[in-house]
Amino acid sequence: MAEIKLKLKKPLVFPLEAESITPDNFAGKSNDEIKKLVAYSGNEESTLGQFFNVSGKSGEKDELKIIIDGDISNVKRIGEKMTAGEIIINSDVGMHVGNEMSGGKITVNGNADDWAGAMMKGGELEINGDAGNYVGAAYRGYWKGMKNGIIKVKGKVGVESMLWADGSVPAKRFPTLICGSAGSFLGIHNNGGTIIVEGDIDRCAGADQIKGMIVVKGTAPKILPSFKKIGEVKEIELLNGEKITGKFIEYAGDHSVKKNHSVVDKKTGELNKGVNGRLYIAA
Amino acid sequence: MAIKKIKTLYDVICPFCGTLCDDVEVDIAENKVVEVRNACQIGTKKFFSSNPSEHRYETPMIRKKGKLEPASWEEAIDKAADILTKAKRPLLYGFSSTECEAQSKGVELAEMLGGILDNTASVCHGPSLLAKQDVGQPGSTLGEFKNRADLVIFWGSNPVHAHPRHLGRYSEFVRGYFRKDGRNDRTIVVVDPRNTHTAQIADLYIQVKPNEDYELLNAIRALLRGVELDVEEVSGVPMDQIKELVNTLKTCNFGVIFFGMGLTQSLSHHRNIDAAICLTRELNDHTKFLITPMRGHYNVAGANQVFSWNTGYAYSIDFSKGYPRYNPGEFSAVEVLIKNQIDASLIVASDPASNFPAASARNLFKYPLIVIDPHETPTSANADIVLPAAIAGIEAEGTAYRMDNVPLRLRKVKDAPGESISDKEILEKLIEKVKEKRGE
Repeated sequence: MAEIKLKLKKPLVFPLEAESITPDNFAGKSNDEIKKLVAYSGNEESTLGQFFNVSGKSGEKDELKIIIDGDISNVKRIGEKMTAGEIIINSDVGMHVGNEMSGGKITVNGNADDWAGAMMKGGELEINGDAGNYVGAAYRGYWKGMKNGIIKVKGKVGVESMLWADGSVPAKRFPTLICGSAGSFLGIHNNGGTIIVEGDIDRCAGADQIKGMIVVKGTAPKILPSFKKIGEVKEIELLNGEKITGKFIEYAGDHSVKKNHSVVDKKTGELNKGVNGRLYIAA
Repeated sequence: MAIKKIKTLYDVICPFCGTLCDDVEVDIAENKVVEVRNACQIGTKKFFSSNPSEHRYETPMIRKKGKLEPASWEEAIDKAADILTKAKRPLLYGFSSTECEAQSKGVELAEMLGGILDNTASVCHGPSLLAKQDVGQPGSTLGEFKNRADLVIFWGSNPVHAHPRHLGRYSEFVRGYFRKDGRNDRTIVVVDPRNTHTAQIADLYIQVKPNEDYELLNAIRALLRGVELDVEEVSGVPMDQIKELVNTLKTCNFGVIFFGMGLTQSLSHHRNIDAAICLTRELNDHTKFLITPMRGHYNVAGANQVFSWNTGYAYSIDFSKGYPRYNPGEFSAVEVLIKNQIDASLIVASDPASNFPAASARNLFKYPLIVIDPHETPTSANADIVLPAAIAGIEAEGTAYRMDNVPLRLRKVKDAPGESISDKEILEKLIEKVKEKRGE
C-alpha cells in the first residue's frame, strides 16, 4: 500500500487552509509535486511544501494512505471532498475535516474542531477524541445535510450535530453518527439520519425532526414537549436493518413540524404515528 | 445677552435605533444643537452628544511613546495604510452606526486587503439572519403593522426602553387605517422572563423561564397542529395559559411577532428564531401573521443589506482567498479574536471593547488597532491610530435602512468640529493610500 507522510515543520501563526490534502490530489504525484500543491495562510496563497515535510511514495488513490504528524489543530479542511483512500491524523485537527467526503476513511487520533464531516456523502470518519459543534451538519442555509456515510466519535460531539441530515431508506442512504455523548439540539431538522449515543445527551434532541432515529443509551435531561411517548421496547430495528437490543422508552416526534406525517385524524381524533421520527431513551 | 440666531430643521431622521424616526425637529445655533423635539430621550441625547466636549476627537491621533498625540491627516492615513497593507489577516469590524455609502467603502477595503469583514449583527441579530437562511422569513414594512395588526407580540424585546417610539409610531398606541381606535383595537402580548415595562402595559404577559423559549415555541407549534401534549407546564408556563395564547394567535385578524435580544442571545440563539419563524409560517394556515426583528443600531439592517449586495453575505465574511466566504463561528469577529487569529484591526463606528468577551478584547489590543470614531470609547482609548469622524446623520449625509429594510436618507444638520470628516471620506482616503502603497 502506498504511503505519504506529512509532518508539520513549525507551529502555525494563522489557520492553514489545506483542502489539497486528499488521496485524490496526492495520487500519482511525486513528492515535489505534492509540495507544490496550494494551501492558504492568512491572505497569502502558499504551498504545502512551505508548511510540511513530505516523505514516502504516492500511488493509486484507492491504495493511498496519508499520515499526518505534528500539531495541526489549526489546519482546516483536510480531506475535503475526498473520494477514496485513507488519511490518518495523529493530532488534534482544525475545522471542516472530511467535509463533503464521499468515500475512503479518515481517522483522527485526537480531537476535531467544528464542522467535522459536514455534508458528508459517504465514507467513514473516525474521531478518537471529542468533536466540535456541527458534526455531520449542513452548512449555513442548506436544507440537505449529510447524505450517507458514517461518523464515529469516541468522546462528545458539540451542539447541532447532524443538522438537516438527509437519509432515504428506498435509496439506501443511511447517514449515521455514533458518539460517546452529545450537546444540545442533536439531530435538529433530522430528515432520515441515524444517531446512536452511547452516553448522555443535552436538551432539545430531535428538535424539528421529520424522520430518522435517535437512540440514547444514557440519559436525557429533558425531552421536548412535542415528543409523544409510545411505550417501552426491548429491541430497536435501525433504518438500515441492524438491530440494537436493550430496554428503551420510545418517543415519536417532532410533532411540531408541519411537514411531519404525524397528522391528527379528523374523524377519529387520533394521532397517526406514521413514519415520523423516533427518539429512544434507555429505560 | 445677545440673542443667538436659531435655525430649525424639520423632518430630521434620528440616527440612533432601528426605528429611524423621521419626524425629529432640531434647533441649531452657532453650529450647536440647542433643542431637539419629537425624538425620544436616547435620540435627543445622541443629537446633543455631537456638541463639542472633551469626549470628542477633533484631530487625528497617533500613539507615540504610549500616549495618543494629535497628528496630521497625512501622517495618520499613511501610518494606518501601512499597518493594513502589511497585515496578513486584518479584521474590519463595526459599520452598523454609520451610513451605507461608508459601509460599501468598508467592503471595498476589506476585499483589497483580503481581510475579515464583520458588522455588529454578529453579536446582535446575527442569529436571526442564520435562522432566516435556514427557514426564510415572512415579514413586511412597519406601515403594514401600524395599519393592520390587531395582535402584537413582543417576544424577548422591551421597546419601552430599547425602541421608545416604536410603540407610539408603529405597534401599540398609534391609530392605523384599519385600527382607528389605536391601543383599544390591538391586543398586546409580551413573552419575557422579566416583568418589563413593556410587559406591564400588555394585555397578556407570559413569564417564560430564562433560556427556555425554544421549548415554549415548540409546544405552541405542536398545539397549533392539534397535538395534545402529555405535560402540564412548559418552560414555567401552565398549559391553560399556553392554550389561551394559541387561541389568541389563531383568532386574530393580523398578527405580528417583534423579537429582540431575548430570543437571539439566550441559550438556543438562532434556533429560537428558527422555531418562531416556523410558528409564524404555520400560523398563516389560520390567519395572517408576520415576524420582524427589532434591530438595535440604526443602520445595522443597512450593513447587512450593503454587505449582502456586495458579497452575497450579510456578516462574518472572509476575503482571505480573494473571494468572499461566509461562516459565523469561523469568521465572526469574536471568534477570530478569541482564537487569536488576526494581526491588525480597523474598527469603524463601533466599540467592541465594551461589548465583546474580555478574552476577545484582550487579543484586539495585542495587535495594531485603528479606530474611526467621533468619540472617545474604551476601544479608541486603546487604539494606535484614531481617525476622527463626523457623526453620520447629524454631521454627514447618507443612507440608512430601518429595521424593516426601508432605506431613508439621513440629513446633515450641522458641521463637524475641528478636522473631522465623514466615515466615507476617511475610508476613501485609506483605500487610495493602500492602492498607492501597493503601486496600483
